[in-house]
Amino acid sequence: MSDWNRQHSTAIFISFLNNLKEMLFTVIAVVIFGQSSQAGGIGYYTVFFSIILILSLASGVIKWLTFKYRLVDNELQIKQGLIFRKNRYIRKERIQSIDINAKVIQRMFQLVELRIETAGGGLEPEFRIVALKRSEAEIIKEELLLNTKDIVLQDEAENQQLVNVDNAEMNKGETENKPDFSWDLSNNRLIIAAITSSGIGIAVTFVAAIMTQLQQLIPEAIYENVLGWIIHSSILYIFFWILAILLIGWIITFISTLLKYGKFRIIKEGNDIQISRGILEQRQLTLSANKITTVRLVQNIFRQPFGYVSVYVESAGGGRKEEDLSTILIPICKKDEVNVLLNDLLPQFVVKRSYESLPKQSIRRYIIKLTFPFIVIAILSSLFAPFGWIAWIFPVIAAGFGFWQYVDAGIGKDEHVIMMKTRAISLQEAIVPKYRIQALNTSQSMLQKMDDLYTIRVSIITSVIGKTFMVRHISRLQMEEILLWFSYEKDTREK
Amino acid sequence: MREKPDQRLATKTLKVWRIVALIEWCFMLLIPIGYGFAWWYFSIPQWPIYVLIGLAIIIAYFKIFVIPKLQWRKWRYKIFENEVELMYGVFVVRRVIIPMIRVQHVDTKQGPILRYYGLSTVTISTAATVHEIPGLEEYTADNLRDNIAKLAREADPDE
Repeated sequence: MSDWNRQHSTAIFISFLNNLKEMLFTVIAVVIFGQSSQAGGIGYYTVFFSIILILSLASGVIKWLTFKYRLVDNELQIKQGLIFRKNRYIRKERIQSIDINAKVIQRMFQLVELRIETAGGGLEPEFRIVALKRSEAEIIKEELLLNTKDIVLQDEAENQQLVNVDNAEMNKGETENKPDFSWDLSNNRLIIAAITSSGIGIAVTFVAAIMTQLQQLIPEAIYENVLGWIIHSSILYIFFWILAILLIGWIITFISTLLKYGKFRIIKEGNDIQISRGILEQRQLTLSANKITTVRLVQNIFRQPFGYVSVYVESAGGGRKEEDLSTILIPICKKDEVNVLLNDLLPQFVVKRSYESLPKQSIRRYIIKLTFPFIVIAILSSLFAPFGWIAWIFPVIAAGFGFWQYVDAGIGKDEHVIMMKTRAISLQEAIVPKYRIQALNTSQSMLQKMDDLYTIRVSIITSVIGKTFMVRHISRLQMEEILLWFSYEKDTREK
Repeated sequence: MREKPDQRLATKTLKVWRIVALIEWCFMLLIPIGYGFAWWYFSIPQWPIYVLIGLAIIIAYFKIFVIPKLQWRKWRYKIFENEVELMYGVFVVRRVIIPMIRVQHVDTKQGPILRYYGLSTVTISTAATVHEIPGLEEYTADNLRDNIAKLAREADPDE
């Protein structure tokens, strides 16, 4: 099969039907809403629908004419497109699964559909040849799946190194029947988590929003009276109102955290990590340990003083697709317990977390970036609002916060992992193994160029799409070191 | 210090970018034209027409002449045995390293203008990201695609 093949001509009919199916809603909508308007009668509809029919038929024909495929040396090559031509070569090693389906239409013509799933990514993760003879499909399947058994594992884990580790683990897991490890969130911890939950910000905005909405429900006379009273009364009363909003917000987050993370339990069995949680609504989630691409430690500002962290993981699938794959692993624990717990759950992520701080030049960048918008606001409000000068307090706070972000930002690495510490509001540490990095990217804007600073980004997989972690304003030396560390090219490493 | 990648895009790519920029600019031209019509039919001030035309000329200068040139000059790439390196960007200079073992598939594609000039764009996809080398000679692109596909296939997973 090394010549270019077209699909069976029934493909035209199938894609025609598919087009019709997709357009069905539009058609129904047009019919329903079209009737109420007086534009055109039956003739109009006939023309309209015949155009749709002809267009979808034509697109089916064009698709069929331009879609060609062939098998060359364990590689499925596909050509498609009339105006925008696309050639896609699917390597055998990258194929995750090949399905042969026969839906009703295919069955009518004694044909099958071939579906090829590659390991996620890109814009079109899967390929379909919608109509071909079963025998042909079997040939392709055999050709592409043959001899892949020894590579399958690599495909799964994407790295041989890891596979060895995991194999050892898996074997260990199989010999024992009871869970290898289980961990429950104690009630004390649960309450601490609830007290210090960062959801409070969201809850406060929510409460504040409801209160402002209430204004519209309350009769205007009363509202004006109350407002007048607030304005006339001392600042103490306003303070009291703010406090009340905060308190209500806090109570809401407190309860919702209790409900969400109550009965939290992790069980590790072989390679599977099972997380169950929730009091009212019980949730269960199974993650595969060798699909976890990144571990994140997050400390919100309420927890930081007490040394508590939450641990999140990013996973590259493995479970069902609907499952949330960027998920919480440990809702709350002491910072020094992290490695102890990880040692049992995800030993490959146990690292000594030490960070190199950023160069002094980047203080400026961090402070200016946060302060600038507030300075603009402050200028505007002191020009146009009475007591607007009070707004100058915001740039000062922002500058302080920017400095804090600088102090907390850092980058660290050992042979196999890179650690990136950043603060947006909460402090986050991302631990990314080198073999999980899909692409590494550095950039330098014109402002950064003045101080010779760089931004570094690493991309990893979580669920189907990717995620990128970055640290802003690192020094040239740090950037060069990371490039060397990441480079798979031995020659450049020695330079 | 890591050396900059040394391969460049095809010379004709610059031409294609300029044509695309010109087409986009023509669409932008609709704004002054629209204002011109509005001025013809309604009593609104005339001076904004000149301002808009002036702006259009300045934008044309940068959009069609200066920026594509800089962009082209800044674009570099290199294919190593174990990784692909890209470097590009005028205002923000980006540098990307894609390890061969992470490459999922390599595509070439061309729109009508690229095809007219015999050029092709190479797209390199990993499981999480998609990268493009825009505008290479067709045969270079095809070779590159096959080469990357081959290297990706051979990439040593023990590395």
